[in-house]
This record gives sequence, structure tokens and C-alpha cells, in this order.
Amino acid sequence: MHTHHSVFCITPPHMLQEIVRNGSSTQRDLALRTLITSEQMRGQRRAIKSVAAFMGTAITAGDKQRSVYDAKNDSQLPGTLVRNEGDPASTDPAVNEAYDGSGVTYDLYYDIFGRNSIDNKGLKLESTVHYQKGYDNAFWDGKQMVYGDGDEDLPPADRLFNRFTIALDIIGHELTHGVTQHEANLAYWDQSGALNESLSDVFGSLVKQYQRKQTASEADWVIGEGLFTSNVNGVGIRTMKAPGTAYNDPVLGKDPQPGHMKDYVRTIEDNGGVHINSGIPNHAFYITALELGGNAWEKAGRIWYKTLTDKLQERSTFQQACDLTYEAASELFGANSLEQQAVKKGWSEVGITVGGDAPTGCLSAILGVFGISARAEK
Amino acid sequence: MQIIFERSGGIMGLKSSLTLDLNELPLDQAGTLRRLLDEANFFSLTENPPTRPTPDGFQYTLTVVTDTISHTVRTSDTTAPDELHPLLHELSQRARTQGRLKA
Ligand SMILES: [Zn+2]
Repeated sequence: MHTHHSVFCITPPHMLQEIVRNGSSTQRDLALRTLITSEQMRGQRRAIKSVAAFMGTAITAGDKQRSVYDAKNDSQLPGTLVRNEGDPASTDPAVNEAYDGSGVTYDLYYDIFGRNSIDNKGLKLESTVHYQKGYDNAFWDGKQMVYGDGDEDLPPADRLFNRFTIALDIIGHELTHGVTQHEANLAYWDQSGALNESLSDVFGSLVKQYQRKQTASEADWVIGEGLFTSNVNGVGIRTMKAPGTAYNDPVLGKDPQPGHMKDYVRTIEDNGGVHINSGIPNHAFYITALELGGNAWEKAGRIWYKTLTDKLQERSTFQQACDLTYEAASELFGANSLEQQAVKKGWSEVGITVGGDAPTGCLSAILGVFGISARAEK
Repeated sequence: MQIIFERSGGIMGLKSSLTLDLNELPLDQAGTLRRLLDEANFFSLTENPPTRPTPDGFQYTLTVVTDTISHTVRTSDTTAPDELHPLLHELSQRARTQGRLKA
């Protein structure tokens, strides 16, 4: 059901209703199907949430349960179990980084947000290291975290990437994809995908700041510090403080992230630029946290966490994320509180106004499906 | 025979691509690629298997053009059949090192 990219774009319901009213019969069918599917998803999520709330009463706070596996340069997951919860440290730094990093991430979620693991029911944190050979990546496969060793198979002078467990915020990023999957379950394309990505950067960065006990102004807000070898001209893979400036390198090119809606990138690559346009909500969080001062996890973090767990939906847009964080700030800290004003400022600096009508980013794609050519998209 | 390879996505969202003409490669290298294509049963693989995107996963698009046939397969690390992994690895490796050489 998720194969047809375009139909799952975020289309304003009023537009779909318009097509149902005025479109040809084929257009009507497609629009109806899209409307019905999104209604079903909303219903499902409500049902899941109420079951979870009921079950939640019987669940006591669990200890963290971590398992680290070694893929031994193969593609089979999870691989061979090499370290379980409570086992002594390994001689392999990647194993220890995956173990310790998922531990700190668990701690941030538990200590600050009262969340018991990825599913809030004590789910075991599973990580696989040494995935494939020369694998310059890390990902969440729907059940576990997976880390490659970077360019270990190339001569040192040609290497761009170190092992991916080296950066704590990358571990927090991957684990947060699991949290998002169990909560808002943001669809991994276009704006909902970029929000999914942004939330992983936000909480990944908070994990690093939490471990270093840094305030918002002390933190560097760089994602993936230490991931590049000294052959690369760059500080990390992204920066929430100044999107677009993390690297500028002859081989890797220039960091393509925008930090404002006016520079929003429309593309079909990378599931609609999920790792590119995430710069916009990333920067909104950074501005909010900086505005509030102190430790970013205390206020901005709580507002974003509440929005992720209680408010965002599978196909939420940037505009909705703006409005819903504003709403969450009011519920947590009061209407017109300094916190709520900071949220408003954060989004306004990236070109999104509370209650406004920011472009959804994939109008042209959805119109194309219905055989209508787009006029202006903004 | 031509191989057109593209890798996109990943935690950085960067694309890398590679086009190889087997007739222009040294014989042993062309032989290795032909063997990997054979072992993967490439021409009988499904073109576009339905998948839900994996957060930060790579997406691969692989097209092979011969005198008589052109076949494209889109896949990912978690959904690729076991027999295809050695070929994906070989091509990813070439795409990565080729990028380095250009610099
Ligand atoms: Zn991600």
C-alpha cells in the first residue's frame, strides 16, 4: 500500500474534496481513495493509542535491555550476539559505542520524558555493528539499529568516513526513528519524512548535549561530529545552528540543507529530500531552544516530545508541526508563556507562521497524479 | 553490455552513480561483473518490489543494457535477495572510489 509515492503526498484535504467534486471520474476515484486512506490511518492510530494507554497501567518502569550484534561484514541481520545487558565491555570499540550510546539515549528518554524505551514498554534495544564492508551509513530497519564501518576498506588517504557508532548523536538519531515509528509514525517522504528526519536529529542532538551537560548556547548543534576523517572539509553531516554549512568538500560536495522555507528543495531524490528539507524544522528547534536558554531538553525538548507523542500524525506537514508545537507549548507552559512565544519565534525565523499556510511541498506531484498541471506552488 | 548504477538516500541523503561499459573494462573485471550478474540471476529479478522506505536506508537502482534487453531493478539493503548483495557491494565500492579519483 506504500508503493505509490505520489498518492501519499500530503495533500490538503480541501483540495482533494475539490477534486472529488469537480474532477473526472478517474481523478475522483484517486482523490477518494486518498481521503479514505488518511481517515483510516487516523482511526487506527486512535485505536492503538487507547489500547496502549490501557496496557500502560500494568507496566512498571523497566531497566534498559541492550543487545549488540556483530554482522561480521555480512548483510544478515542481526548477526552474532556479542554483548548483552550487563556484560563486561568488549575489546571492540564499535560494540562498546553501540552499547553505551543506546544506553545514554535510553536515559535521556527515561529521565527527562519518562519514556521506557522505543515503544514505551521496555523494548530491547538492538544494534548491529560491522554491517557489510565499506558501508558508509547507519539506518533503522524497523526493528533495530544498524551501523557500518565507513570506508575501512579503502586506503587511509581515500577514506572519508569513520565507523558510524563514533558519533553519539547518530545513535540517538537511529533510535529515535524507532520512537517515531511507535508514535506519530510519520510517513518517510516529503514533509512528513523531513519531520521524521528532523525529530531524529533533534533528539539525537539532545542525547549528545545531555551526556555533555551542555546548555543550548554551549552546544555546537552539529550532527555526526567525528564521522568524517581528516580528508573531508567539514565538521559533521548536518548543522542545526546553520543548515547548509556542515561541509563543503571537493568529493562530497556542499551541504545542501536549507534553513528557511524560501530555500525549500523540491526533489524526488531521497524520498523527496527528507535529509535536505529537515534543515528547516531543525533550525526552528535550534532557535526555540536558544531563545529559551538553559538545557535544551528541559523546555524545547519537552515541547517537541509532546508534539511527537501526542499530536503529529502520519502525514503531518511543516505547517502542522509549527501549529502543534505551539499548541503543545501552551498545554505544558501556559498560553502566551515565554515558552510558547519562543516556539512562535523559532518557526517564524524559518519562514513558517503559527496558523499560517506554508506550502506543503508536493503539490505538483499530487496534481500530476490527477492529471492537472500545477500553477504556482507557493 | 552496460551497467548503470545509482545509490541514493542514506543518512546523508547523497546520491552516487556509476556507468560501466563492460567492453571497455579489463577482461578480468568485466568477467567478475558478468559472474556477479549471473549469480544474482539479475534478469529474472522483479523490477520494482513493493517496499516501505527504511529510515536512512540506501536505495539502489541498477539497470543492465545488452544488445537485446534492458532490465532495471530497484532495491535496498534490507530487501535485496542474498545473491544480489555481492554485486551491489562491488558497484557501491566502484562508485565510492570513482568519486575519490575524480577529486
Ligand atoms: Zn534518519
